[in-house]
Amino acid sequence: MSTLTLRQAPPERLDFLNINPLALKGLSQGEAERLEVGTTRTGVRLGECFSVTLDGSDTLTIEGGHERLDRVGASLSDGTIRVTGDVGQRLGAGMVGGSLTVSGNAGPYAASGATGGTITIAGDAGDYAGGAVYAAKVGLDGATLIIRGTAGAHLGDRMRRGTILAGRAGALAGSRMIAGTVAALSVGDHPGLGMRRGTLLLGTHGRMAETFVETGTHDLVFLRLLAKALRGLSPEHAALLDRPLRRYSGDLATIAKGEIWAAA
Amino acid sequence: MAAWVKGGATDAGTAIEAAASLLAKARAPVIAGLSADVAAIRAAYDLAGRIGASVDTAGSAGTYAELGALSRVGALTSTPAEAVGRADAVLVVGAAPWQAPLMKRLIDTKPTRGRAAGSDRALLAVGANATAALAWPAAGGLTEAVGVLRAYARGHLAGDALPGQIAARLAAAQYGVLLYDPAELGEAGIEMLQGLAMELSETTRCFTLATGGVGQDRAVVPVSAWMTGQAPRSGFGRRVPEHDPWRFDAARQVAAGEADAVLWLASVPVARPDWLSAVPSVALVADGEAKAGEIVIAVGQPGRDHGGVLWNEPRAALTYWPASAPTDLPSAASILGALKERLISGQTASRSEPAC
Repeated sequence: MSTLTLRQAPPERLDFLNINPLALKGLSQGEAERLEVGTTRTGVRLGECFSVTLDGSDTLTIEGGHERLDRVGASLSDGTIRVTGDVGQRLGAGMVGGSLTVSGNAGPYAASGATGGTITIAGDAGDYAGGAVYAAKVGLDGATLIIRGTAGAHLGDRMRRGTILAGRAGALAGSRMIAGTVAALSVGDHPGLGMRRGTLLLGTHGRMAETFVETGTHDLVFLRLLAKALRGLSPEHAALLDRPLRRYSGDLATIAKGEIWAAA
Repeated sequence: MAAWVKGGATDAGTAIEAAASLLAKARAPVIAGLSADVAAIRAAYDLAGRIGASVDTAGSAGTYAELGALSRVGALTSTPAEAVGRADAVLVVGAAPWQAPLMKRLIDTKPTRGRAAGSDRALLAVGANATAALAWPAAGGLTEAVGVLRAYARGHLAGDALPGQIAARLAAAQYGVLLYDPAELGEAGIEMLQGLAMELSETTRCFTLATGGVGQDRAVVPVSAWMTGQAPRSGFGRRVPEHDPWRFDAARQVAAGEADAVLWLASVPVARPDWLSAVPSVALVADGEAKAGEIVIAVGQPGRDHGGVLWNEPRAALTYWPASAPTDLPSAASILGALKERLISGQTASRSEPAC
């Protein structure tokens, strides 16, 4: 298991796009320490902020995160990255496969554009978790994102595929969704605003927009399949499906093929 | 010419020297405001590229609400002159557009061109307590309200409730205009409003029109596009222009302690943000005063002290404004040029090759 141990708080935002098990595999310790990770004109090399221990395995542990570590695990295709501490924006953005675990909090745009693999955040996530970055067509695109704590606003904004589980989430969860599944124990106002297709499964929610219409309570086979799929990820979320649910259809401002399942 | 360093009056040369040394020792300098004529905006991007600074504008909240929606769904837009000349129905979204000078022209006149020439102009309002033919207060917020109108326009909602009447009135118009303030409506709301305009344009003509731009943001967007290929919030720390609206948000950078020097460019007067006092700053401002920053250099206001190309709101274009009361105050572009020369000759940055 290769390890990067934070020695001092980074003096500027760091870009970890190129720091992953696969990239470190062929490098000597000296080469890894000289990797440029800074983002300002001054620049920072990996060895200036982290002590580096490499063993060529496909697991990388970052001991001591920091909210200035951007793009940790971005474009990860294979292997495992574990972070003890916080990370910055775009955690696992564009990730294709593998596993990414953060013990602390993540900044905004976690898992944006991720097409595969599993991203788990033990703490809270910022705004637009599983959402789209500026000018991107889609947010989460096939990966699995699990946020044990609280996600900010716009959870799963424009997501197209995949699954998001969150403890609590802010306003506009699932806004402008194209497709996919979001389950949250509690969300703020206006869930699903502007959604085209997709499924939201909610414990409690704030104001429901007038462009969602109630379509009654249903007992669908799909819900049992969904419960089965969720049970492996989080029994707490699967339990949302154990009680009668009310189905809302919307957003009527768009093609209105989305659905929100909320406790009756 | 007036200049101040730490509150004490001095001459321009000393102030430029002090500004250069402040920017030279900064790790992550920011050039913010960019409320200036095109020459100064160009000089600001040139300086940012040379010293590896990042750039943000005075009105970026509204600008990015617009650009975010534009990048995803496009936009159907009109100009103030077209709206005044042709619109027989105007929907005012929110409270802010009622303050725009354009509103008086829309209220006082009737359409004079096109198919609607000679007919009355119907004023419709959503989200504001306004005097209009139909006014819907919309308790659920503007984005939801625009969504409801769009659902009626699509035929997904039906009935003669107030939003239904507003949607019907827009659908019956020859030339509808949806007036909004980008900072007030927000990105999600603007995207929904563009959707409404597109929905209505299936059967008639309907366009959106933004009011209330802050500073010279409307000039910065095209200048940054032709200088960097990107939208305004770009950074040059890694020698190539990187666009990241979250990372290069100047207010966020200052609050997070990432920015350690700010050059505030406001030769066209604009409100000074609160965060500016939390970081050492160089202010290039018209009508400068000692307390505008750590180092203040008074520059000419384009269109008043000297000529310059500025955003022309009524004509919706960049136009040249000659000096209305010429003075010998230096232009912001010339001060930025002098700063650039000083910083390049001092070889300040470790990554000192030009970024653009």
